[in-house]
Amino acid sequence: MARRHARVGYGLPTLLAVGLHGLVLLVSVISLPASDHEPKPSSIVQATLVSTETVTDQAQRAEAAKQRALARQAEEQRQAEEQARQEAEAAAAQEAQRQTEEAEQAEQEAQRQAEEAARQAEAEAERRAADAEEQAQRLEQQRQAEEEAARQRAKEAEEQARREREAEAQRQREKEAEEQARREREAAEQRQREKEAEEQARREREAEAQRQREKEAEEQARREREAEAQRQREKEAEEQARREREAEAQRQREKEAEEQARREREAEAQRQREKEAEAQRQREKEAEEQRRAREQAEAEMQRLIEGANEPATNAQQGQQAANDFTALVRQAIEQAWRIPPNVASGARVEISVRLGPSGELFVAEVATSSGDGAFDRSAVQAVEAAAPFAELRQLPAHLQREYRRISFVFSPEGVR
Amino acid sequence: MNDAMSIPHLIMNASTVVQLVMLLLTVGSLLSWIVIFQRTFLMRRARKIHRGFEDRFWSGVDLNELYREVPPEQETEGGEHIFRAGFREFNRLMPKTRSPQAILDGVQRSMRVAWSREEERLNRHLVFLATVASASPYIGLFGTVWGIMGSFQSLSMAQQATLSTVAPWIAEALIATAMGLFAAIPAVIFYNRLTAESGRMLGKYEDFAEEFHSILHRNLQGRSDAAGA
Repeated sequence: MARRHARVGYGLPTLLAVGLHGLVLLVSVISLPASDHEPKPSSIVQATLVSTETVTDQAQRAEAAKQRALARQAEEQRQAEEQARQEAEAAAAQEAQRQTEEAEQAEQEAQRQAEEAARQAEAEAERRAADAEEQAQRLEQQRQAEEEAARQRAKEAEEQARREREAEAQRQREKEAEEQARREREAAEQRQREKEAEEQARREREAEAQRQREKEAEEQARREREAEAQRQREKEAEEQARREREAEAQRQREKEAEEQARREREAEAQRQREKEAEAQRQREKEAEEQRRAREQAEAEMQRLIEGANEPATNAQQGQQAANDFTALVRQAIEQAWRIPPNVASGARVEISVRLGPSGELFVAEVATSSGDGAFDRSAVQAVEAAAPFAELRQLPAHLQREYRRISFVFSPEGVR
Repeated sequence: MNDAMSIPHLIMNASTVVQLVMLLLTVGSLLSWIVIFQRTFLMRRARKIHRGFEDRFWSGVDLNELYREVPPEQETEGGEHIFRAGFREFNRLMPKTRSPQAILDGVQRSMRVAWSREEERLNRHLVFLATVASASPYIGLFGTVWGIMGSFQSLSMAQQATLSTVAPWIAEALIATAMGLFAAIPAVIFYNRLTAESGRMLGKYEDFAEEFHSILHRNLQGRSDAAGA
């Protein structure tokens, strides 16, 4: 029997324990930096949504598409512009004409009103004058009657005087009576004259008042005309402003429609290009495919030229869906994004993303580096973690192709 | 990548109290691992020795021969220690008394003493393991709480409380808890395992002592019958 009665010492266990701890330390130093940022930033994501605008590489594609369909597009644009201009001009001309007509009409009306006022005033004056004349005639008749009476009385007095003369002392009395009658007549005449003068004065006063009133009416009419003209001018100015605004809005709308149409065309061009590439891969179907694509493109173009409005609204809806899609994608990326600590606040990295047809991630690569490797990597990892973007399938077909290439700008404040 | 968040960097940047806690935990972990290794080796050796001794004991060898194989001053362990203690007492009592009961009592007592020494030897330092296992999580937690207190103090001074300003503090505070658990978990596992092992060994020793006692009893019974006859 082996009689090794040496005790189990502490040397070897100590060595082993120290070795174990050293190994653990070594492992933590070597591999933990790579792995420790997985458990650590499990906390809240700091990314915030700064704006809802999306940055895609639409501009690049737009340029490419533009170069391809430049002539076509320019022509169309020119046509549309011309049409818009003509329309605007016609509208403006019509508006101006209408306005001048209106002004004229208003002027005529004012004139008519003034005339009427004048006529009225004249009629009034005439009536007043007739009244006065009538009154005067009446007075004259009265006077004549009175004269008649006086003459009769005088005759009677003469008769009496003759009778009295006949009765010896009749002449004197007759003379006296005659004298008296004359005096009376004179007095009557005097009264009559006075009355007449009074009447005359009254008439003159009335005529004066009448003139005054006429003048006033004239004045009033003039003022009214002026006010009317003023109002007219204001209305004109307003109308002018409104017309300008309308024209502006019209121009804006036309521009928008143009823009939409252009985008649509670009999308179309994009699709066609991809189709061509596909066709190139499939050599045997090439001719047919190309011809079909051309025909389709032509039909599309025809449709675009014929009715620019309808595809514009379609494109608008598509644009809306695309915005929703990019917002969703951006949100997903933000949630998946773990910003490494100690990133400079101005750091910006642009990540260009290519997606598969059903939203799976093909490539996410750094388009413009921020200079901070960790930051760039974190952005790429965020995109990788957020993939797949199944929302892509909900987009309209032509936009699906467009949005299979997106680029995002990451900055410490958020994804754009 | 960013070495600001690597574990050694965090440990170096921690506050003094947290560093002391970490040091304590490191020492505790180191010692507990020394105990674990030493006890494991010792248990394995005790098992091997015991198996060898039992094989030899039951091989039909004469007990006197077996006793004389080892010089008396040499220390033995395990079952052999119990056997030698019992047999020595038996040999010493045989000439002095004729009562088999007295002899068996003395042998049993001396074997119990030897068993108790074996128990003490096997279970030595296991209490330390138990202490590390139960205390180090609390120590680590203390370090974490202290570190988080520091982080909140620094947060109160910061203008803008972003996660990146507190994150290093919390990370370094949590390292203390991690180290506490790192020390405690192996200590718990190995404490249970070693306690079970030593209990099993002590059971084997007890069985052996009983068997040896019955052999001696049989011997004495035969001798007293022969003496009586």
